[in-house]
Amino acid sequence: MNLKISALDYIQEVKTGNISAEDFVAKTIERIQNVDDKLNAFLSVNEKSVDQAREIDKKIKSGKKVGDCFGMPISIKDNMCIKDSKTTCASKMLEDFVAPYDATVISKLKQQDAIFVGKVNMDEFAMGLTTEFSAYGPSRNPWNIDYVPGGSSGGSAVSVSAFECVASLGSDTGGSVRNPASFCSTVGYKPTYGLISRYGLISYANSIEQIGPLTRTVKDAAFMLNLVAGLDPNDNTTIDNKNEDYLSGIESGIVGKKIGIIKEMMGDGIDPAVLSAIKDAISKLESLGAVCEEISLDMVKYSVAAYYTITATEAGSNLGRYDNLRYGYDFPLEGYEFNSYISKARRKFGPEVIRRMIIGGFVPSAGHAGKYFSKALKVKSKLTKEINEVFKKFDLLVAPTVPILPFKLGEKIDDPVSLFLVDINTVTANLTGKPSISVPFANSNGLPIGIQLMADSLNDKLLLQAGHALEQTVTLPEVPI
Amino acid sequence: MVTEEEIEKVAKLMRIDVDDHKEYVDKVHTMIDYFDILDSACVEDEEISMPEITISNLREDKHIPFDEKLIEKLNHYKGTYVRAPKMSS
Repeated sequence: MNLKISALDYIQEVKTGNISAEDFVAKTIERIQNVDDKLNAFLSVNEKSVDQAREIDKKIKSGKKVGDCFGMPISIKDNMCIKDSKTTCASKMLEDFVAPYDATVISKLKQQDAIFVGKVNMDEFAMGLTTEFSAYGPSRNPWNIDYVPGGSSGGSAVSVSAFECVASLGSDTGGSVRNPASFCSTVGYKPTYGLISRYGLISYANSIEQIGPLTRTVKDAAFMLNLVAGLDPNDNTTIDNKNEDYLSGIESGIVGKKIGIIKEMMGDGIDPAVLSAIKDAISKLESLGAVCEEISLDMVKYSVAAYYTITATEAGSNLGRYDNLRYGYDFPLEGYEFNSYISKARRKFGPEVIRRMIIGGFVPSAGHAGKYFSKALKVKSKLTKEINEVFKKFDLLVAPTVPILPFKLGEKIDDPVSLFLVDINTVTANLTGKPSISVPFANSNGLPIGIQLMADSLNDKLLLQAGHALEQTVTLPEVPI
Repeated sequence: MVTEEEIEKVAKLMRIDVDDHKEYVDKVHTMIDYFDILDSACVEDEEISMPEITISNLREDKHIPFDEKLIEKLNHYKGTYVRAPKMSS
């Protein structure tokens, strides 16, 4: 049984009867049992997966209508609700929280006969970019287990990269899908803001976050997007994509497309291996018929500070609900006064969440909002204007996904400002709502490098076409686990 | 320059016990200091644009019954009320 196949190949194999969903899912679960002790991608595994796959096989055999996923095993970041399953957000605060309903993305995938093999690790409440801030221990990079897998959707990237599932859903607030995709050599897709419903996604920073797929190929990402995108009455920030088919015409190529190379994303601190990869990617894009030209987005230098100010503010508000009365762990009420009870309960939050909550209370507070929060919103507005101007002349933008290579566990955990700079190339897409993809492109001494492409809002189809074209220009080594 | 006292005051308002988290305050300080970079962005005259949310997009204003008693999932409740600690002792 080849667990390394893409989602589209899996579907083809099951359709033609070459493999059964049950066998494939059983082997996937076996794979998780064999490798996950080392990788810690999964926070919980769905023990009913094989039974569910068997039911799908029965449907296929009896000629009943089967959903587009044909029992494909998918992992889900543990901040999306699956009814009657634990949804911890990798926090002790929600250790025993069992979701009472399905997120919209989950309902859509269930209708298409996907199988959720498990919930995967992340930084607590999605705050972080290494998965080291999970309350349940860090995930490890399958390319070298001494290294971080990126984050916050680290478990999603690890599970796809190490063949513990065929595809995964993560969420991306400042690069949380693309960054681990780059570090683990998978495709990571952050759609246009509003393309995928966030109903049932535990909120971190609502104004900029999006759910996105992590997959083995760009075609698989387009396939997943087809399944989960679209208007949702339960999330009024969703936009009507008119049932766009992102997979059709994905091989159209990029002849004549104008691609801007973002100068500010290739500056100080870029690793020489990453610089050489992006130069190579640019020449490959040119050889595919695109015209590449350097452009400048002046606000990028302030984007990380604006991003942290805005997200911490929204997080401070969103995390206010964790007073242990409605969501929380078992802790007696007796003997506590209201405020001391809540303060004591909130000790269950981990260090990064505490830090960001304090910042989230501070930056919008009276006396400080003018200096921090309102300036951050102004940077966001100006950056959006700048990028909209650029998209009048260019079809796509390119940059490395992350300016540095994956680093060792523990290497940056005590230095928040150096971690900030890991986000520098990814937050722009979130702040401006633009779609963005990370495509696996190179490997430096066994460590993966991803290339990021961005397009204008709702040009997701073009972005996926470009991602696919770039992906076809390289052959990468196989993950050594 | 932000003072430690200012940070501690906000932390208390966020119902975070600062005494427990003294070690975090330094890091918070470093992070907030980094945000000073926003001062050089020269965006004072910029207008803040907010995305428009159309109200035609809202779900219908009608009661959708839930198939389970959600309150029974709580650790502390009485009848149809959420139980909370006393406001003052």
